[in-house]
Amino acid sequence: MRVSIVINGRAYEDEVEDRTLLSDFIRHQAGLTGTHVGCEHGVCGACTVQLDGEPVRSCLMLAVQANARSLRTVEGLAGPDGELSALQRAFTEHHALQCGFCTAGFLMAADALLRRRPGALTETEIREELAGNLCRCTGYEGIVAAVRAAAAETGG
Amino acid sequence: MTTRLVGAPLTRREDARVLRGETRYVDDIAIPGVAHAAFVRSPHASALIRSISVPQPAQADGLLAVITGRDLDGLRPFPVMEPNGARVAEGEAHPVLPLDDVRYAGQPVAAVIARTRALAEDAAELVEVEYEARDPVLSPRASDLALMSWSRRTGDVDVAFAAAAHVVSGRYALPRLVAAPMESRGAVAEYDAGEDALTMWCSAQDIHRSRAQLSHILGRDEASIHLIIPDVGGAFGSKGVIAPEVAAIAVAAIRLGIPVKWTEDRLENLVGAYQGRGIEGDVELALSADGRMLALRARLWADLGGYLLTTTPVPPHTAATLITGVYDIPVADVEVIGARTHKVPTGPYRGAGRPDAAYMIERLVDQAARELELDRIELRRRNLIRRFPHRTPTGLEYDSGDYEHCLDLALELAGRDEPSRTRPADTARGTGIGMYVERAGGAFESARIELHAGGRFVIDSSSSPHGQGHDITFAQIAADRLQTEPGMIELRFGDSASSPGGVGTFGSRSVAQAGSAVALAADAMVGEGAGLAAHLLGVDVGAVALTAGGFVGSPEGGSEALSWPELAEAASDPARTPPARDPGPLEAVARFESANVFSSGAHAADVDIDRETGQLTIRRLVAVDDAGTLINPLLVHGQVIGGVVQALGECLVEEAVYDEDGQMRSGSFLDYSLLTAAEIPPIITGEVETPTPLNPLGAKGAGEGGAVGALPAVANAVADALGGRHVEPPYTADKLWRALHEPVSGTRSEPMSRR
Repeated sequence: MRVSIVINGRAYEDEVEDRTLLSDFIRHQAGLTGTHVGCEHGVCGACTVQLDGEPVRSCLMLAVQANARSLRTVEGLAGPDGELSALQRAFTEHHALQCGFCTAGFLMAADALLRRRPGALTETEIREELAGNLCRCTGYEGIVAAVRAAAAETGG
Repeated sequence: MTTRLVGAPLTRREDARVLRGETRYVDDIAIPGVAHAAFVRSPHASALIRSISVPQPAQADGLLAVITGRDLDGLRPFPVMEPNGARVAEGEAHPVLPLDDVRYAGQPVAAVIARTRALAEDAAELVEVEYEARDPVLSPRASDLALMSWSRRTGDVDVAFAAAAHVVSGRYALPRLVAAPMESRGAVAEYDAGEDALTMWCSAQDIHRSRAQLSHILGRDEASIHLIIPDVGGAFGSKGVIAPEVAAIAVAAIRLGIPVKWTEDRLENLVGAYQGRGIEGDVELALSADGRMLALRARLWADLGGYLLTTTPVPPHTAATLITGVYDIPVADVEVIGARTHKVPTGPYRGAGRPDAAYMIERLVDQAARELELDRIELRRRNLIRRFPHRTPTGLEYDSGDYEHCLDLALELAGRDEPSRTRPADTARGTGIGMYVERAGGAFESARIELHAGGRFVIDSSSSPHGQGHDITFAQIAADRLQTEPGMIELRFGDSASSPGGVGTFGSRSVAQAGSAVALAADAMVGEGAGLAAHLLGVDVGAVALTAGGFVGSPEGGSEALSWPELAEAASDPARTPPARDPGPLEAVARFESANVFSSGAHAADVDIDRETGQLTIRRLVAVDDAGTLINPLLVHGQVIGGVVQALGECLVEEAVYDEDGQMRSGSFLDYSLLTAAEIPPIITGEVETPTPLNPLGAKGAGEGGAVGALPAVANAVADALGGRHVEPPYTADKLWRALHEPVSGTRSEPMSRR
């Protein structure tokens, strides 16, 4: 069937099979390869995007389910002038990424968290909120520190 | 040198691309008309192949070809390394696709190439393979075929044991683990028939080994293979040998004349990518009445799987040679047998034999302290190696270290901020120390440096990163030596068309080897620059000195400066460059080679075990690591924490579980768990910097220490909590509950039977 999905403010219209995963539509049909596929069974969170503002795993949704809805991916995080967001800046300052493959998923989950829970978050809260995303490189220390710093900055 | 970038915690420059979603991992590479591969895999751990019936292209939508072992005449199986002194079985190398039999569940049997991945998976369903299943061999001790073996006996071990006041022994086992990088494996192959040139984009640790393996398997000159390493989403040792599937798609691209892509999915990665650890052993230590270690015996069995991949023999050899750890044990008798079993092959996974050795010797030392009624720390102090270089009875030469300093710092940090002393009722509490020494560095790498307009340097390094942060680290090394800013230095990696010669990114060796090559290339560039400056100033090269941003010389009547941008301009100007030199960018190449360097460390763990449930809580982990001179402490810290957390996963949850039929039962991320952010205890780190004398940086390696030291520290803490009772990781609630509640059959160990 033909779907039209708005991603980062732009409409992408294309034919999809019924079985086409949303993650595959984003990556291979819309060409937005910043979203990564780590497990395709909903555990690792690498493919996390925001659907109408809420974080979802794009490997657990079909493209047709996102028809006529609005998505935000990692490519849509920086400001219109290309300036990195406070969260993105905090990730590099706190060495929150090594290989970078899980990073987009963490950013999209953390960005939604910061909007849902503005203001300072405790370390425990951040760790529990991010427990749906896996990182094999960093041991999470830098990621938690980055989200905490961004929470303090954006909520302050 | 006046600027001191070495030692500065600079942030990485590749982060911005990642954070904007602008990276290019191998599956992101879109080539028009690319076909996709899916693989038919063996459902049996061991079986004869009776027949394979494949669909013709017309029989399935989008199907282009099916390739089986019978279509691979002329291809060789994987090349296999022979570690120093090891015997490696002939004829047991992993084939690209099998002809007659399969030796692990998940082994690729046929490659199905179609227009899309979904259509390739559909067509794979039409491939019919008739198998005659056989009983699998699953335990290395039960195997009758050694794929590799290594042994070494130094000194009169039997006499030492016979004369010893105490003999302490232990039996240890580590399960197989999955490296599980977040990006699984994959490649794109494109063939130009006119040029007979194969181009491969491969998610791999390095170009050199991948290209050499492809060259061997395909029987094709390395020069006709252009290998490109795009962004790589982690490896941890698991991408140092190409997947058999990668060689299969190279064949497909050559035969079909169209580009072919394979992207491994997670389920394939869990069952089909080579695994780590999978080793067990009996280790025995002879001690004097006052606790001096006199001799060690060890017999290890490694579960190598169904075939040899290129580096399969390496980790068991590393484990065997490091089995005496940080201790001055004069004589030893060590043997390792790498047994064939019907499981996916093993290979390097972060630590690659080092955690195995540290786990066994450190558990044994704790057991010795218990039996001799000596303090665990005191027993270690009496036996630590203190003089370097130190030749081990297993044949290694430790270059440098300060093991007692690491131990003291770990104890100090562990004592400084003790986690809550209030112990919940019904809790068994334990503490543990684990020490380690890690073989790092070794072999050669190289670098080429060019000076471009504006004083910008471009460095091609032979070593490529997959998350470690080579770029800023190498820029710091070069900038200090060139007296310029890191922003003036661009690093290039991972393209066989421009890379100088090297070996690869593995074994905590990138900074020590490739970083040293960058340092030497930068020094050579300074020599080139000085020569040109001297020519331009009309002075002797000895009258020219490096200074911030360039050189100063002292021609008669005063001092003149020549900046790197001015030298760049002059080098390309025929009127100004020396007549003996062709005009063009200043250039220098350097190769660096050294023997192994040895990192070390001491980790400490505090644990609680709930007596009611057996649940283990790691309350805190202290990690003190000595990686020699640190170039970028921010990135080193990231390596240490990342390694520690992988070790904690090994302690708590990770295990590749096989059932009695040889089926892997932990074949998804639901069953093979990785720790999440919510499960990580507080980790306190400390650094000791004992520079190695073997390279110009003094740097050793930091990539694996975290994963090596934390395992024995937690293992000793768990045994301490259990009153000395030994349990193998992962420390699941089930095992610990049994250990707490089932009767103990004597804690004193019995000597090994004589061999």
